[in-house]
Amino acid sequence: MLKIRGLKKSYAENEILKGIDLDVKKGDVITIIGPSGAGKTTLLRNITTLESADSGKIEFENIQGDYSALTRQETKKLRQSIGFVFQNYNLFNNKTALQNVMEGLLTAKRMPKQEARTEALKALERVGLLEYKDQYPVQLSGGQQQRVGIARAIALKPKVIFFDEPTSALDPELVGEVLQVMRSLAHEGTTMVIVTHQMRFAQEISNKIVFMVAGRVVESGTAQAVFENPRAERTRQFLAETLVQY
Amino acid sequence: MLNTDFMLQVAKATIKGVPVTLEIVIVSLILALPISFVFALLRLYSVKGGNQFVKLYVSFIRGTPIIAQILIVYSAFPSLLASFIGKSAFAIDPINYAYIVFTINAVASLTEVFRSALQTVDRGQYEAGTMVGMTSSQIFRRIILPQALVSALPNLTNITLGLVKNSALAFIMSVKDITAIAKTEAAFNYSFLEAYLVLWVYYLIISYAAELIFKSLELYFGRYRKQVKKRHYSNKEQLISVTTDKRRSPAQG
Ligand SMILES: Nc1ncnc2c1ncn2[C@@H]1O[C@H](COP(=O)(O)OP(=O)(O)OP(=O)(O)O)[C@@H](O)[C@H]1O
Ligand SMILES: [Mg+2]
Repeated sequence: MLKIRGLKKSYAENEILKGIDLDVKKGDVITIIGPSGAGKTTLLRNITTLESADSGKIEFENIQGDYSALTRQETKKLRQSIGFVFQNYNLFNNKTALQNVMEGLLTAKRMPKQEARTEALKALERVGLLEYKDQYPVQLSGGQQQRVGIARAIALKPKVIFFDEPTSALDPELVGEVLQVMRSLAHEGTTMVIVTHQMRFAQEISNKIVFMVAGRVVESGTAQAVFENPRAERTRQFLAETLVQY
Repeated sequence: MLNTDFMLQVAKATIKGVPVTLEIVIVSLILALPISFVFALLRLYSVKGGNQFVKLYVSFIRGTPIIAQILIVYSAFPSLLASFIGKSAFAIDPINYAYIVFTINAVASLTEVFRSALQTVDRGQYEAGTMVGMTSSQIFRRIILPQALVSALPNLTNITLGLVKNSALAFIMSVKDITAIAKTEAAFNYSFLEAYLVLWVYYLIISYAAELIFKSLELYFGRYRKQVKKRHYSNKEQLISVTTDKRRSPAQG
């Protein structure tokens, strides 16, 4: 469904992404893991056009081309077919939970207000926040804000949702509720690409793991293969370092 | 002792100047707001030429006393106009020159206010907007602008209060505002202190009213920034964390 080939990005002289390939199929839950500074965030931001990649092929829906030559129309189409959940939630502070979720439906999808409201309420219900619909972001806990962030993404019915460390800004006791929502999305067949340091969670819900170091994919495969039988020495080392914390 | 009868008389006479003072403040604000908003955008988006011009303009106006600006406008404009439309230029109501000076002045400070207000909205919200498929102008109008305007309100209040106070200088241009009338009354009756005390009270009332209006605007439009007080606390600890931590509320459901 989404195919990325040779994605490259440099900041000044630093090449942060050195040619990344990624295949996402419908229903996939892919988790990207790797040490800090590997370029995971940069990868998500470049795939989703939050930043403009230097080069790299993309095939998605009816878009077929190179990141360096995406037209305005293609960029728009791409953005409308993907969702993004941010590490810092990035909710619209001047809007209530419900309005946050409705915003994209009203503007990008040009949905009539009533219909948008119904859709938004459904999305809020899926993340368990129906009774918080009229609260503003400041009135919500971090976990609740992130769930609104997820509702905002799913309401638009994207083909694939990208999550950049959705729980790493949260107090430990609030992590669970967000992971629970993501778990249920996964069970409902939502296509997701996740960056997280929650290894247990990654192992549990992903059907594919991508391990990245210094702008390259070192290893990728099923969760079982990567976690239990890593081929690369670097992967083994990383897993040993991170899993020891649990 | 103070002559209260005279003070009452001054109060009555001076009240005719209240609309003039208010007019100066309100008209200048209304003219300055859109101009300074555009100026702020020119600065923020580093529009070629415009950016430089605004920078220069702002430091020019802020670096000179308003009294100098008044004197310059009041001596330059009428004769400048006269060279276009003849003698009738001198018959123009001087309040128009007051509008010009105070607008020019307010634009400089408001530009800076809008510029910093627009920067207070974090980039993350813009990115979130693009990811739900909004266009830049939709994000600007629906997300950034409403928040920027609210965060500009406290500074806008200060500028308005400054304008109220500075408007007292309009008498230099022979505008009949409250200061001008009080001065005339004072000089006519040789009772300066009484007249100026009345004047003082008038400014106090006007400033207070202005502050009240802006405060309520801020409360109303800034309601999204207010944490709703949770009514039930199961223990003391929650109360503490609600009041100390603005972003997170521990009460779940
Ligand atoms: N806008 C930028 N300008 C310059 N360098 C950048 C920029 N964004 C990221 N980098 C650099 O790219 C590298 C990869 O950063 P990135 O945030 O993608 O890593 P990450 O894998 O997400 O790390 P973490 O696990 O800590 O979130 C880092 O060395 C970072 O300094
Ligand atoms: Mg990151």
